[in-house]
Amino acid sequence: MNHRQRLLQDYARLAAVALPLLAVPFLVDPFLVSLAILTLYWAYLGNAWNIMGGYAGQFSFGHAMFYGIGAYTSTMLLLRFQVSPWLGMLAGAGLAALFGAGAGYLLFRFGVRGHFFALGTFALAEMLRLIAAETEFINRSIGVHIPLIRGDSWWRLQFERTQGNYYFVILGLFVLGMAVTIGLHRSHLGAYFQAIRENEEAAAALGVDVLRYKVYAVALSAALTAMGGSFFAQYFLFIDPTLAFGVSVSVQILLRPIVGGVGTVWGPLVGALLLTPLAELTRAFVRTPPPSLEFLRGRSGVDVMIYGALLILVILFIPDGLVGAGRRLWGRLSPGPRGGRRPS
Amino acid sequence: MSQRPVWAWLAVLVLAVLVLSACAAPAAPQAETGGGAAPEEVAPAEAPGPEEAQAEPIRIGGIHPLTGGLAADGIQMDNAIRMAIQELNEAGGVLGGRTFEYLSADSTGSAEVGQTEAERLVNQGAVALICCFQSSVTSNVAAIAERSSVPLVIDVAVADAILQQGYRYVFRLQPNATAMGVYGAQYLRELADALGATVQTAAYMYDGTTGYGDSVRAAFARKAPEVGIELVAEVGYDPFGVADLTTELTRIDQLAPDVLLVTGYYNDGLLIARNAEDVDLDVKLVYGVAQGTYDQPQFVEDAGDLAECFLDSNYHWDASNPKALAVREKFQQQYGEPMRTSAVLAYQAMYIIADAIQRAGSAEPTAIRDALATTDYADHILPYPGPIQFDEAGENINARPVVMQVQDGRVVQVWPPAVAEAEPRMCVSWKQ
Amino acid sequence: MDRRLLGLFGGLALLALVGLGVGPTRIEAWFAANSVVLRQAMVTGLLIGGVYGLVAMGLTLIFGVLDIINFAHGALLTVGMYLTFLLYDRFGVDPYLAVPLVGAALFLFGGLVQRLIIHPARNAPPHNQLLLTLGLALFIENALLVAFTATPRAIRLPYERDPIGIGPLVVDFPLRIWGTTITLPKLAAFVFALLLTGALSLLLQHTDLGKAIRATAQDRVGARLVGVDIHRIHLVTFGLGTACVGAAAALVLPFLSVDPQVGNTFNITAFVIVVLGGMGSIPGALLGGLLIGLTQELSVVFAPGSTKLLGVFLVFILALLFRPQGLLGRRL
Repeated sequence: MNHRQRLLQDYARLAAVALPLLAVPFLVDPFLVSLAILTLYWAYLGNAWNIMGGYAGQFSFGHAMFYGIGAYTSTMLLLRFQVSPWLGMLAGAGLAALFGAGAGYLLFRFGVRGHFFALGTFALAEMLRLIAAETEFINRSIGVHIPLIRGDSWWRLQFERTQGNYYFVILGLFVLGMAVTIGLHRSHLGAYFQAIRENEEAAAALGVDVLRYKVYAVALSAALTAMGGSFFAQYFLFIDPTLAFGVSVSVQILLRPIVGGVGTVWGPLVGALLLTPLAELTRAFVRTPPPSLEFLRGRSGVDVMIYGALLILVILFIPDGLVGAGRRLWGRLSPGPRGGRRPS
Repeated sequence: MSQRPVWAWLAVLVLAVLVLSACAAPAAPQAETGGGAAPEEVAPAEAPGPEEAQAEPIRIGGIHPLTGGLAADGIQMDNAIRMAIQELNEAGGVLGGRTFEYLSADSTGSAEVGQTEAERLVNQGAVALICCFQSSVTSNVAAIAERSSVPLVIDVAVADAILQQGYRYVFRLQPNATAMGVYGAQYLRELADALGATVQTAAYMYDGTTGYGDSVRAAFARKAPEVGIELVAEVGYDPFGVADLTTELTRIDQLAPDVLLVTGYYNDGLLIARNAEDVDLDVKLVYGVAQGTYDQPQFVEDAGDLAECFLDSNYHWDASNPKALAVREKFQQQYGEPMRTSAVLAYQAMYIIADAIQRAGSAEPTAIRDALATTDYADHILPYPGPIQFDEAGENINARPVVMQVQDGRVVQVWPPAVAEAEPRMCVSWKQ
Repeated sequence: MDRRLLGLFGGLALLALVGLGVGPTRIEAWFAANSVVLRQAMVTGLLIGGVYGLVAMGLTLIFGVLDIINFAHGALLTVGMYLTFLLYDRFGVDPYLAVPLVGAALFLFGGLVQRLIIHPARNAPPHNQLLLTLGLALFIENALLVAFTATPRAIRLPYERDPIGIGPLVVDFPLRIWGTTITLPKLAAFVFALLLTGALSLLLQHTDLGKAIRATAQDRVGARLVGVDIHRIHLVTFGLGTACVGAAAALVLPFLSVDPQVGNTFNITAFVIVVLGGMGSIPGALLGGLLIGLTQELSVVFAPGSTKLLGVFLVFILALLFRPQGLLGRRL
């Protein structure tokens, strides 16, 4: 099979997963649609993170900085200049890419890597949060509201929540993000990224311009993440520095791809499909526990405690993520030439 | 390297989930109130006939931070609503015998979770919501309530902007940030004049990262020149990232203001009290403006003698109202903790909703909203100069803070005189 | 000359130029007006910095030897604070007497955590270990919430304001020197922090265990070759790290109230300090702690009105860029 066919095959697979998803809002009740929106939203953000953290191996612990830039850019353009959030989304993506490229260049140029790079991105995101809380233009720590409009408007990117429009928007974004990843996966750029992840020195020795491609990875990942931030602002209609740049945003973004499988195409989606309902289920469990565990009912903290414990268990027992575990299982189930042909 | 297994599984999984949920959706026991037949299977056997629909409980949703850093208040608020519903049901419910059912939700202190939980509650048939304690979460839930046409009564959330969006379905019981700041400044002036003290300069320490302190401080600062108070320093800090404020207070001490003003949460308020004592801060009064510490009985427990004299202009229950005292007594018996003001407001919110449903003669969300808009509820337990009434925007027009002071180990109301339990004192504890 | 140092000196020169631009007399006047605040900032910075250093010491050991980012470090501090609170509240144990008790308890707890959670993931990629500790932090914080509720707890030492006689010398507390204030709890925490730093340094330098720990930190494979039991060293090091945090917790409680999330306050600064001081370096952690304490307090004087963590992060980024191996760390 040649390169082009493989790419087309991957896109066909994406379509096979995404097309049935189009039916979701017509089949399930509104609350489940909003859960589906969140699942896809986290899958989308996880995918954006995965480009930099997974493919290029540059572990970011501060993706909230790009996310917040996206959220604030589209919101401020809308509020101050009546610019459509769609254009604002693109502007935010551009700004985040520039910021990411600048920050990435600085950190990479000075040889910051590994744990230190992760902590550096973390510090940058926190700095943006603190600066945002002091900036008059974006209403300091009080935050900004996006005015509610009646009815639906594609231009304003605001809809009745009980209908599926938000869902279709995030599904579209998700497909876009996945298409980028798949294209990357099958391109020279993606090959460079992975070479850098595996061994930076070796990649450099082979003539890969390591610094340049690392900066590309950050910029691409930042742009996609920022678009997710713009979507968040339009969906939640309120942002403040903590919602936009907070630590929990950074953590949430990287949780799904790691649980799903770092550096794999489908990992972020698989992780989101597991974790988003998992949080919901632990919450439901504490709300109405089985009779034998009645004493847990309504005890605050129990649900997050269980969630934390489950997270630990997942990572301990499925260290290469669900996608990796699935592949291993598949390899074991289908022995012979198919399984044996793929040693990695 | 092929990814056949993963994508194939995903496609299958997606289809399976779709089929399952499509099958499950009609069978789900959703008590949709808007139209549709009432589910037959829940009709109680002993109450057949036309009252069938009336036996259906009225579902009220509450969203509060039951986990995370603000859970102390959130849990109390949740319990307070339970207690109110229990009382209402024991008294025979509303609309001739319909009882309430409480749907509790945990916002975990996060806006995203608060929003999905609000959607879940609406979807499970909640006809009114009570929420949220934090302004950021409330902003999101208010948008949901408005979009879903389900009335929301905000028990606690201070940011002005929530009700400046033209929402029709959102109402607020407590004074907003502007009222907190404006009345805070006005009461300080009145108090100082009544005590015959010169109060011309003040320094402000406020929570500068969550939006709470900043919005109250801004309102106070706008009002201050009008009442003859000059702010000589405004010092912001991160309430969840601070371990010491000695240097900030030394800086303030050097400016020698007449009053130290504070807006923030419990822990940082306690820290400021301790550090102010440490540096022997030279002020005449410490005055909290919607401060989360200085009107709490726990402050007296934690700080001991140091707590004496601290003032706080904040929302409160009406300590001069015997009914309020009875409610708090009962809460303490039931849940083992002194009832906080936030919980009193949540309790009150439930009664406001019950009143609206009674007057509306219906448990339809839109009817409840219309009834809420014409609320005129005088039998409340809050220290307001008039009945609870909502203006166009949904603000409670009579909502006022009261000034409290720690006196001889007790938190007492000292201003305005109509609700005062004791005379205000002019002192700071470490100067005595 | 090294490019990094060049950059550093360039920055300093720029600052000096700005200073000249503002004019020496105005600077002098500013210092005169702010002298008390400046002194207090330095005193507070040093005192609180010592405690930061002690918290970071545990982290730097774990970071240096096990090479993991332990995000549950703050949560472990919270555990220690609750333990101290219980000892004080139920049994009347003085927090300073509780230092060894809480330290020992946290040593055991840390060992348990290492065995159950960290050890099985020793060969997993770094991001997995980071997430594990994040999950652990979530678990601990919320377990504490279930056990103690979110209501903050605080203690107040009965002798906090009593004069203390050392021989003929009687010292009044809070101590006031040159307009600055030094309270007993903070001074005690600082002194204990110094003592513990010294003790830990001695342990690492002069005992077999310490040598084995240092060998493991430097070269895991080499250490194994010369017969060091790596697994045991990892266990003990993690325990030592959490014991440090336990001691810090007992020292902090007399001046800071505890709720399930309080550890987060220290978590971030601790990471900054570890990188600044040099990962695995005990004196580096103390030095880093003092520097961060000073940075944070001085930013109150020089940039009033803004949150003081901003300065800390700025120093952190600069340290990453110009001295990634840390002030007292080995060259990477």
